[in-house]
Amino acid sequence: MKLIKKQIPLAIVFITGVLTLISYYVPHKVSVDYIETMNKWENIVVAFAFLLGLISLFFSHYHKITRKADGWGYSIFVFIGFLAMVVPSYTSHGKQMVDGMLTPLGWSYKYIYTALSGTMFAVLAFYIVSTAYRSFRIKSAQAFVLFVAAFILILGKVPLGQIIWDYALGWTGQGVSAVIEWIMQVPAVAGKRGIMIGISIGAIVTSLKIIFGIEKQYMGKD
Amino acid sequence: MIKHKALLTLFLSLFAVSGLFAAKPVPPAKKAAPPAPAVITGLTAVDMPYDAGNAAILKWAVNPADAADTFYVVYVSSLEAGGWLEADRFVSSAKTGKDVELPFWAWDGSSLEHAVKVELNNTYGDTLPGSVFQFKVAAEKNKQVIAESMPVSVTPVGNWFRLDRMNNLVLLITIIVIFFWAVSHAKRKGLFIRRIAGLDAIDEAIGRATEMGKPIFYVPGIGSMSSISTIASAFILGEVSKKVAQYDSQIKVPHYDPVVMTVCKEVVKQSYMEAGRPDSYREDINQFVSADQFSYAASVDGMISREKPAACFYMGYFMAESLLLAEVGATSGAIQIAGTDVEHQLPFFFTACDYTLIGEELYAAGAYLSREPMLVSALKVQDFGKLFVMISVFFGMICVVLGAKFGWSAFVSSVLNLFQNF
Repeated sequence: MKLIKKQIPLAIVFITGVLTLISYYVPHKVSVDYIETMNKWENIVVAFAFLLGLISLFFSHYHKITRKADGWGYSIFVFIGFLAMVVPSYTSHGKQMVDGMLTPLGWSYKYIYTALSGTMFAVLAFYIVSTAYRSFRIKSAQAFVLFVAAFILILGKVPLGQIIWDYALGWTGQGVSAVIEWIMQVPAVAGKRGIMIGISIGAIVTSLKIIFGIEKQYMGKD
Repeated sequence: MIKHKALLTLFLSLFAVSGLFAAKPVPPAKKAAPPAPAVITGLTAVDMPYDAGNAAILKWAVNPADAADTFYVVYVSSLEAGGWLEADRFVSSAKTGKDVELPFWAWDGSSLEHAVKVELNNTYGDTLPGSVFQFKVAAEKNKQVIAESMPVSVTPVGNWFRLDRMNNLVLLITIIVIFFWAVSHAKRKGLFIRRIAGLDAIDEAIGRATEMGKPIFYVPGIGSMSSISTIASAFILGEVSKKVAQYDSQIKVPHYDPVVMTVCKEVVKQSYMEAGRPDSYREDINQFVSADQFSYAASVDGMISREKPAACFYMGYFMAESLLLAEVGATSGAIQIAGTDVEHQLPFFFTACDYTLIGEELYAAGAYLSREPMLVSALKVQDFGKLFVMISVFFGMICVVLGAKFGWSAFVSSVLNLFQNF
């Protein structure tokens, strides 16, 4: 049992991981073909897993409706939304436009899906304002630095801010755009690169842990 | 009066004579020298090293007499398909051996010869029509061909090793050696690791949820299972769900990716078993929501708004939905802990969450929470890696500054090659 549940999966992970790692250093067509095959297999697995996801979604919302759980009414919209896209897709044979005219699928995509996605994305603007308000409450020295940097950036991006800057700090001889340029190119890039270096090293070490079977939590422990 | 006139006449005469002697005869206009004939000498074609066998490299001598408006045009022909196709066109001063983007240990380029890499896939598409290819080069000026080489042929072959990535391989081997040293060291004696506030707060968050009798939301983001951050998130989920099971609290894990959901189901189930609470495990802890970014965000936002969780964890790969989720969580009054390796989403989490794990801390979280020596040793490797990078950056900076001051351009280029990705 341990062989099937532990050792074989670990061997698969090790062999696949090492081969994929080696393929980075081997430019031969054999290596390219191997990566392509792996990608195809990944797509096949994802397609089957998507079916599992759909079943999970339907069961979860079906139980909510039957049990009249809190907010069960919203669950009905899961099925309505599903049908609103799948039925037109079936009748339109998957095409959004025919002879320059929108098919039912094209109509659903344009006037339901795109509109709803756009609405959700637009909400982001309001959240950014409330987040900015929260970040402007100076609670620590780091928050103060963040506030100063953000304030200068906001000031420099609007014409009125540039006028205020020139009036108040014009005597320094530095335009607000030059200060913004410096903030974006020096401290911001330095911080970003620091994070990127840490992330890259962490990614290498995590990959090694998985390839060599030291991290095997994803398949349960002994 | 006469005396004055005589003096004036004498002065004018002297001036005229001196002018006559000073004036040099104008030489007859020289005929403009005819431009040196454009020549393409020593054209050779060789297989491009360190590739899959779909490129060739052409070399010929730089002609110093080339005018600035002279262009070289590279033509390629397949023995099977026939006909000449234009593969490249560039000004005569460009593309010398020094311009080939390969490191010094893999390529010895000279500025005295042109070196042009011809990607055959760009001309013929993914499937090459044959194995033998002919090349010729023409020099053009004002759209007139002024010189043309004889055709040369080459058979591109796939190579088995990318010598240009040798620096990368050496670094990887070094990391692997340190990795195994740290693992064996961890087995013998424990390793000290620094505290990570965000991870220490997990207990507090779960305890709060238990006291309040409210659920915990664990959002693994929109990454697939091939994303390192999603894998790290699954490790953290294992530890979080174990604590949830121990405290007999509730956890909900809404998913974007069905594969991630399948893996997380196993992880959570295993954690409940390890905690000795297999009876508390429910299949609907992990539920698939949507594979569309904003549909997922809208749905999870709805759940958070309705159920008012005591704690929200956002661990994994996030894009624009990071703020949509974290703001709603903050508004609902939940204690929030986030972690991602997407650096441009970190500011949103910093401002909207109580604790944020930055990139590498996310990867380290599973090991930190489990406290298993073997896993903790990996954190040491990360620290050694960062130390190596810091030392390299420091000495690299000194080398580049000294090189720039004393004009050691070849030395600077070599140093930069060592740390470059090819």
